[in-house]
Amino acid sequence: MNKNIYTPELAVIKKVCDEASGIKTFTLEFKDAENQKTFDYHPGQFIELTVFGIGEAPISITSSPANKGYLELSVAAVGNVTRALHLKKKGEAVGVRGPYGNGFPFDEVKGKDILYVAGGIGLAPLRSLINQMFAYRGDFGKITILYGAREPGLLCFMNEVCGWGKKDNTEVLLTADVPDDKWKNNVGVVGSLLPKAKIDLESTVAFVCGPPIMIHFVILDLVKMGFADDRIITTMERRMECGLGKCGHCNLGKSYVCLDGPVYSYQQLKKLGEAI
Amino acid sequence: MKKVLTTCEFCGCGCNFYLGVEEGKVVAVYPSVSHPISQGMLCIKGWLGHEYIHSPKRLMTPLIKEKGEFRQASWDEAYQVIANKIKQTKAQYANNSIATLSSAKCTNEENYLMQKFARACLSTNNVDHCARLCHASTVVGLATTFGSGAMTNSINEIERADVIFVIGSNTTEQHPLIASRILKAIKNGAKLIVADPRQIQLANLSQLYLKHKPGSDVALLNAMMNVIISEGLEDKEFIQQRTENFEALKATVAEYTPDKGSEITGVPKEKIVEAARTYAQSEKSTLIYSMGITQHTTGVDNVMATANLAMLTGNVGKECTGVNPLRGQNNVQGACDMGALPNVFSGYQKVADEELRNKFRKAWKVNLPPEPGLTVVEMLNSVLEGKMKLMYIMGENPMVSDPDLNHVEQALKSLDFLVVQDIFLTETASLADVVLPGVSFAEKDGTFTSTERRIQRVRKAIEPLGDSKPDWKIITELSSCLGYEMNYDSPAEIMDEIAELTPIYGGISYKRLDNFGLQWPCPTPDHPGTPCLHKGSFSRGLGKFGPASYKPPREMPDADYPFTLTTGRMAFHFHTGTMTRKAWALDREYPKGYVEINPQDAKELGLRNGQIAKVISRRGEISIPIKPVDTIGRGVVFIPFHFAESAANKLTAANLDPVAKIPEYKVCAVRVERG
Amino acid sequence: MKILNKSNLASFLEGLKSEFKVAAPLHEGQDILFGDLDSSNLATDFVGKPRFSPKEYLFPQKERLFTFREDADVEIEAHLNESKKVIWGVRPCDLYGLKFLDKVYLSDYVDPYYQVRRSNTILMGLNCNEAEESCFCNSMGTGPFAKEGFDLLFTDLGDVFLVEVGSKGGEKLVEKQANLFTNATSKDEAQAKVLEEKSKKTFKTSINLEKVKAKIDAASANPVWAEEAAKCILCGGCNWVCPTCQCFNVDDIRSGNETQRVRYWDSCQLGGFTQMAAVNSRATQAARLRQRIFHKFSYNPDTYDGQIGCTGCGRCIDVCPTGIDMTYILGRIANE
Repeated sequence: MNKNIYTPELAVIKKVCDEASGIKTFTLEFKDAENQKTFDYHPGQFIELTVFGIGEAPISITSSPANKGYLELSVAAVGNVTRALHLKKKGEAVGVRGPYGNGFPFDEVKGKDILYVAGGIGLAPLRSLINQMFAYRGDFGKITILYGAREPGLLCFMNEVCGWGKKDNTEVLLTADVPDDKWKNNVGVVGSLLPKAKIDLESTVAFVCGPPIMIHFVILDLVKMGFADDRIITTMERRMECGLGKCGHCNLGKSYVCLDGPVYSYQQLKKLGEAI
Repeated sequence: MKKVLTTCEFCGCGCNFYLGVEEGKVVAVYPSVSHPISQGMLCIKGWLGHEYIHSPKRLMTPLIKEKGEFRQASWDEAYQVIANKIKQTKAQYANNSIATLSSAKCTNEENYLMQKFARACLSTNNVDHCARLCHASTVVGLATTFGSGAMTNSINEIERADVIFVIGSNTTEQHPLIASRILKAIKNGAKLIVADPRQIQLANLSQLYLKHKPGSDVALLNAMMNVIISEGLEDKEFIQQRTENFEALKATVAEYTPDKGSEITGVPKEKIVEAARTYAQSEKSTLIYSMGITQHTTGVDNVMATANLAMLTGNVGKECTGVNPLRGQNNVQGACDMGALPNVFSGYQKVADEELRNKFRKAWKVNLPPEPGLTVVEMLNSVLEGKMKLMYIMGENPMVSDPDLNHVEQALKSLDFLVVQDIFLTETASLADVVLPGVSFAEKDGTFTSTERRIQRVRKAIEPLGDSKPDWKIITELSSCLGYEMNYDSPAEIMDEIAELTPIYGGISYKRLDNFGLQWPCPTPDHPGTPCLHKGSFSRGLGKFGPASYKPPREMPDADYPFTLTTGRMAFHFHTGTMTRKAWALDREYPKGYVEINPQDAKELGLRNGQIAKVISRRGEISIPIKPVDTIGRGVVFIPFHFAESAANKLTAANLDPVAKIPEYKVCAVRVERG
Repeated sequence: MKILNKSNLASFLEGLKSEFKVAAPLHEGQDILFGDLDSSNLATDFVGKPRFSPKEYLFPQKERLFTFREDADVEIEAHLNESKKVIWGVRPCDLYGLKFLDKVYLSDYVDPYYQVRRSNTILMGLNCNEAEESCFCNSMGTGPFAKEGFDLLFTDLGDVFLVEVGSKGGEKLVEKQANLFTNATSKDEAQAKVLEEKSKKTFKTSINLEKVKAKIDAASANPVWAEEAAKCILCGGCNWVCPTCQCFNVDDIRSGNETQRVRYWDSCQLGGFTQMAAVNSRATQAARLRQRIFHKFSYNPDTYDGQIGCTGCGRCIDVCPTGIDMTYILGRIANE
């Protein structure tokens, strides 16, 4: 295809909903139906979103490939582009480039038990994988989801999360650092849920996603528990612009987060050559 | 791509680069390798600061304010409105009810025309500019001691000095290409002494760092002189043959023993002794200073103390030595040289001197007012006293750069009429009745004079944007509207007139400037320019020692306001940020202001990095994120003044040096609270 | 190989103008800069390299990518530059730099802006008979004479140029003005070899590349990073003049209902290069200085089949106002 790799495709906002405090979920549909059909992605990949007149930002895809015909993005308003996006309404157009990145391992972890450890909006990329796994439930063993946020108001996708907890061979544990009056679950950082989960170390692969400091401590906890370095999978975040390994901003040791990541195993991270 | 060689529009180093022009737009910058100052290098502002030229926010047409809102207007209409108002004001009130502020960013030709306009057309000596706020103390202090208020030596000589003493100058951030010379000198074996209340980058690269308290410079310098005299290290021959008033100096510094110096400055006495000995005992010691010396109520005393130290040790009047005030703006030296000052014509020729006034009267063909006019802060005070009615401000942003901004706002809003000429709708322009769109340095011809007195060409690379006009054209057209005809075909012609009337620029003409400019004094058309001043004799004949005693800053911390606030600049933004905050690379580094605070102080206040604090003074308060750094001492905070929304100058006071009238930006008292 | 009389160079280049835009090193005031051919100002016998590499003909300092127009719909217009160009006088270090950038921009995702410019550009190299003080291409194996990456390669033999053909495109241009060229003799080729050996002896700066390659990955904690970074004033000059620096920043500039997406050269020495909303992933100047060296000597070879991201031109040494010298740093890495 003679396509210009930097040209965004037009997409229309079909739905906006308030996901959590300061976080909105946008459902997008490509304007060109052909684009929508051929937009093939894996959980863990991201797109570069253009808000016309403002700029472009990398946003991970939170819907699953199993959901056909649309794309979901959950976005916190933290910078110029995301703040401008939050002001957009149903029917308005945005630009989409992608999908980029390497995506989570899927086939490679079939047959294993899966442990998810998510913090705040870090659940968004993991949700894509979780729902994909539920679409192929028979291929995976026990699924444990440990999810927490600073406050209950920052927890995302709560309807779905509760639904997951009701599925077979699936355990969901929730926590909040600072509870409110209605909070009935665990209080503490998400790492405090680890001792409470029933995990078979030998057969489990861990997926960790959240604020960088949370990832740091959870990985240390997992290592202490006995997880092997290649059984801990996480995502790295870096400033990104082109999304395809040219502009240099996301260079992380011997890799580009947009090409060789954003998904890395802890084993890979240790070999990259730049302190993480 | 067309390449046009021009002089940088930011600081006083005076680097040269080529602007790359494509399709009528500036798209690239290439430093000049053969230029003696840039030598193929630039700082980040030189490389990338030019983005603002094509910003969509550029003023493209004149604006007239109607019912509180601006509307576009034609030049004719704008000129008519201004001219009528000026005539009205002159008829109703005295000539001195009108004042002009010229611009240290604009060219020499434009500054010359602005003071000519004020004097010849408006009949007032009320013309001043931002040098008042930065080096007014230098002009007075060095004129008193040496007879000439400019950098005595040249930038490249610094490389070959044996000892470099930098006091009150954050050179790597404010004058990067001069810091470049300092570092080269160190590589060649020179010793660097840095004195600064903040542990600036240059301090970390020095061999001896003195962390003295803000405002204690006279005590420090006097103590150094005390050591030099008591150890017999002074240059007796130089003192005898080239100076006067030595006994008075000796008597004054006698009480500033190292112990007393240490007590006042907070610097350990061994360091004071070492600094004194190092500076005095080398063959070629050069002294460099900037705002840390000048922006005090004792600014003139501070400057004289540096001059005293240099004369005491024979370190002036020969190469690689000298007293070197680093001028901040690209053309603040030029603006002063051109007489955009209330008491002098171009070339520092006093307006009160009848003979000199006659010379200008003959050339300009009109009677000229004999009484010196008001300085910047005095002008604003005069508004609130009901005497100043109309101001015409070119390329200045007092709403961010002057001290005590609430007071400034009050004054500007109390004017009958305000005209502002600028390239953007600055905080000051927003208050105007009429706004006139000038142009950037890329859209006009002219000259800038750098801190080493080097007069260099600014060359037009692109056409003025929209309906904007070169500032020199605007002044001539406005003047002609008011009945005082000014007609020049080009800035070159203006410079010819300047050369005729200004002895230090006597030999300057455009065709002589193509080989990297000339350093004044350049009195005749065949004079090669003067890299090193005061060789053989000082401008005033003998150098005069100006003894100074330590006086504390006007507003010291107390129980209600326990912190010392010192203000200053940083490498990535320039002054009020009008230009640099529109450059993507500079804005990305520092999109917002911050207050530097010692980590212990931050902890005691319960504030974390990035959290919003309220900083309060007797003049006003601001909300601003904190930045804990251990390069600043306890009890001191630092705020860069570039950010209008967290303006440091809302807090500062218009405490002026009694002679130079420069505000004490470097010291005032504040309180810091959780925001 | 061919011979072109020096007096015919200007005619040859002028002769190309009917089909191409021709760029060459020019005397600009007292400086030498690449510019649109002006035969009266052509610079042919300067030592070393012009301070700016010609990479900006393929990867400009500032380049418009798109215009977005938001009316009833959003219209996207891309801006690709298809004009045909010849760049004459490209030093071997810069030829290597462009070969490196070809790898960066033309592999995996193909950068169309670079690709269109590159496919429309003819490179005519000029070997170096003498090194400048800061040159160390000899140590990097990229000079002083080029071995590849050119359409035509010129060697100054004194009164004449020896012209080597490196591609069909170059060959065609020689044929089109065949009357200006004669055939080279084996004596001419031998003389070129002698000049090459002589040139190699004029280098004052060098590094031990093998040692650097062997020890760089273990040099993360070397004190040299903090020591040298203490001098850095974040001007970005080292990146602006580097023939292999590839990083760019993308910005959207809106005016009315039209937005231009523009890309600019960016510098990994600036703090904002890695700034995210809440955190800066490379927050110290020491880490940034290390990034520049590691990116060129460790990460690039890993990504691009062993090709090192440094041509040994030495421009970064000349442009640094505070004397940070890459060869000094590499020397510390090699020897500590």
